[in-house]
Amino acid sequence: MTDIALPTQQLDDARERKIGVTMPTTDFPALDLSDIQATVLRPRPSPYKGEYIVLRVDDAAQGREMLRRVIPHVATADDSWTPALPGWLGIAFTFQGLQALGVSQASLDSFPEEFRQGMAARASILNDIGENAPAHWEHPFGTPDVHIALAIYAEDEEGLQSILSHARQAHQRLPRISVVYRMEFGELPEGRNPFGFKDGLHNPYVEGSSAPASPGYEQRLKAGEIIMGFPDELGEVAAGPEPEVLRRNGTFVAFRKFHTKVAAFRKYLRENASSPEEEELVAAKMVGRWRSGAPLVLAPERDDPELGADPRRNNNFSYEGDMRGLSCPFSSHLRRVNPRDALKNEFVAVNLHHFLRRGTNYGPPLPEGALEDDGKARGGVFLLIGAHLKQQFEFVQSQWVTDGNFIDHGTEQDPILGNNEGDGIFTVPKTPIRRRLHGLPRFVALRGGEYFFMPGLQALKWLAGKDTRRRPTAEANQLVPNQM
Amino acid sequence: MSTQKAPAGMVDQGFRFGQAREFTIFAPIKQGGAARMRERFKTFAADDVSVINKVATVHDLRVVIFDNDSRLMFATTYDGGFEQYIKDFSTIMPDNIDRFFSEAEGYPGVRSPEIWNYIARHQVEAAAFYSAYPDVTVRNVWKGQRVLKAFQDLLDQAQS
Repeated sequence: MTDIALPTQQLDDARERKIGVTMPTTDFPALDLSDIQATVLRPRPSPYKGEYIVLRVDDAAQGREMLRRVIPHVATADDSWTPALPGWLGIAFTFQGLQALGVSQASLDSFPEEFRQGMAARASILNDIGENAPAHWEHPFGTPDVHIALAIYAEDEEGLQSILSHARQAHQRLPRISVVYRMEFGELPEGRNPFGFKDGLHNPYVEGSSAPASPGYEQRLKAGEIIMGFPDELGEVAAGPEPEVLRRNGTFVAFRKFHTKVAAFRKYLRENASSPEEEELVAAKMVGRWRSGAPLVLAPERDDPELGADPRRNNNFSYEGDMRGLSCPFSSHLRRVNPRDALKNEFVAVNLHHFLRRGTNYGPPLPEGALEDDGKARGGVFLLIGAHLKQQFEFVQSQWVTDGNFIDHGTEQDPILGNNEGDGIFTVPKTPIRRRLHGLPRFVALRGGEYFFMPGLQALKWLAGKDTRRRPTAEANQLVPNQM
Repeated sequence: MSTQKAPAGMVDQGFRFGQAREFTIFAPIKQGGAARMRERFKTFAADDVSVINKVATVHDLRVVIFDNDSRLMFATTYDGGFEQYIKDFSTIMPDNIDRFFSEAEGYPGVRSPEIWNYIARHQVEAAAFYSAYPDVTVRNVWKGQRVLKAFQDLLDQAQS
């Protein structure tokens, strides 16, 4: 339509001024990897075995004692490659957790609003509705009982047990520290997710993190998008939470525990395809990748297991040659949650909406070919990590996952993660006419979620009431946790 | 910055009708600012319109100068979800947004962390709000127009 056609020059000028294009740059600050938790910057081991543990603190002094004991075992981003390490421990706090540790009101008030409210209170913004609503979550998620989360990743059972024993010792003879939740997780065969897809193949690269650069489509992020204390994509440095020692090298984590309805997924494919090959195509169109991990953009017709298994190629693509979505649908899960360059003609600063994804799976696989649910709990837990919960996780969840307006798809949602209640639609661009699938049920249900603050090591020591490397400033003294 | 207050006004205040939202600001104008605004809006057309189109969530907007040129009203109807994009828009097109308010007394600029306080001070929630198509977004309307035109073209071709 000519009356809404836009001079692209205008857009280019606007984009030139800022964002949208990542300028090649080498002058970024080196991160202090010995102060940043390994869970933030390092991919989990593979294969892996682990456990999430939630603690409640009913006495601040005991809470700080527990922290003092656990700190020596918290893995940092610089030592996690050491082969001798049997696994690692990460630790993070909810708003209630910080409160329970005796953090001052002034400091608590300086946290971002979304973190202070917690994920459950943000349900209407996040479109966590229907079966995903907090009322349906497992206890203790969404309640004030969630204070501290421990995330333990190990390569095997032995490594897990050794870290678990550290965790146990940390709250031994501290009767007012209770374990309110535990869940085990572990790798499924071939590193697939419960639906049978290889995933977790992409994460943006955080400048200064010295992680091995992942080959392929480069998404280079300013450190401040993920780690507080450094400039972000807008050149801004986080000014809260206070004091500085608390936020420096810290970040936020959106924790999401999902149950996957594998039988429903298989049944839907069976009912909407006329051959096993077509089932695979429909599934791949929804996900954006084939089961092997091969992206649709590079393998539009059929799975290419060699491509899927090749880390140098399986993430090396953009949507530039697929702007009509004929290979990878606009509405596919992959293209929604990480649009790469697909939205380059839209007014959206994609670089403001990235975060790191750390996925783990739990439960046994549903036996091959089964079309009926076996009633077993299975799914994935995701840690979505970034310094700006609102611009990152909340934006992606509310705008890209649970809406379709941004791709001209009305209210169509993500076919995998969306709130579809048997009435969902999924549009597959095709010539001469598009195909539209109807009657999508919910394939993934949220079982719990929380916002956590994942501090750096010096900040952990500050929370525990220990000395920090830096001399305490007047500000820090004023905000130090109340001694009990 | 991360301590920046949320757009409390836009999210919590303002009427909702379906997915449509209303947003109205009343603000004092600087001395002599009204004349400068009128002059500037003479060239409003091409430049600003194309940018607002690109935002693709603004149904309409109006700027009214009143009270003997001492105050302005900025009123718009927009699609829910716009709030989530404020950081994007203030990053990509700060000048286009600031142009509307540059003559407003005390306006801190859209990139300033003070912007939310400014909005909170001057936003007034509507007492009533109506939309003829409350569940239809700007993008829906444009798409509908495209489809309708294509359909009419098809009919024209079929009869010729």
